[in-house]
Amino acid sequence: MGLLAREIEARGVTTVGLALVKEVAVAARAPRFLYLHWPFGHALGEPGNIAQQRTVLHDMLSMAISAPRSGLVVELPYRWRRETYLPVDDWKAPSESVVSALSS
Amino acid sequence: MDSTTKTRSGRHLELARTLDEEPKRTHRGRLKEFLDRRVFNSATLFGVIPVGTAFGHFISKLIALPQLRKLTVGEIPWVPLRKPLSESTVVLLSSGGVHLRSDRPFNLNGDPTFRIIPKDAQQADLAISHQAYDKTDALRDINLVFPIERLRELEAERAIGRLAEDHYGFGLMGSAKRLMPAIREVAQRISESGVDLALLVPA
Repeated sequence: MGLLAREIEARGVTTVGLALVKEVAVAARAPRFLYLHWPFGHALGEPGNIAQQRTVLHDMLSMAISAPRSGLVVELPYRWRRETYLPVDDWKAPSESVVSALSS
Repeated sequence: MDSTTKTRSGRHLELARTLDEEPKRTHRGRLKEFLDRRVFNSATLFGVIPVGTAFGHFISKLIALPQLRKLTVGEIPWVPLRKPLSESTVVLLSSGGVHLRSDRPFNLNGDPTFRIIPKDAQQADLAISHQAYDKTDALRDINLVFPIERLRELEAERAIGRLAEDHYGFGLMGSAKRLMPAIREVAQRISESGVDLALLVPA
């Protein structure tokens, strides 16, 4: 995924990738990565959990508009099932998870 | 096929649709299923190495890190999004082995090619050919590895401008170098199709 992101962005298109192995995301040196400590085959979360899936997509879109420089791997704070995923009410505004990770 | 099936936790769940053709269940099949899920954790890499576990993470690193070090030298590219999200065209890419059911499956032991998936593909049109992760949940909800339904919703809600016509699926490929021609071809197609933002989802 990282190599693909690099090649796409090198041809003029913004990219955001999800990663489930932190070391691989860092080593890929891709433009923008979000890292989730979730099981393989579950990058967007659990089956049928639409709020969770939309939360992750909102974070990806937020990363696209908010990342200040290339090569950042932002770790998302979600604890898999032990988390309440609220509906996204404003898709134009970047997500709190991404904003707070970028400002720390 | 039965409309209900037993999940790992033993609860009965209504399954709207599964993507795999479900083989006829036999006693031996049940035993194998039990061993796969409880003992071997179902997914294996190259048919031998169990993944989806801490050991699977270790194997991913072992395979990926030395290759990435060689292939990612030089500047990290950087293109800021040139339009608001609500006007941007978005493409989706997945390495979860997703492809159209009518298309050629990926070689499970390594496949250096890609598949095109149209934007209006429905869950029933899609299949997964990948053996390095537990596909049970992704087969129930394709959005876990290929969130095309969620993105169609975002397009309808005008959170994003437009979904690209073509999206891309990759399978399992141990050698990054051998995958590079397909990666470059997909990158070229995307850059020539007026896409503003590419979202990449792993297996």
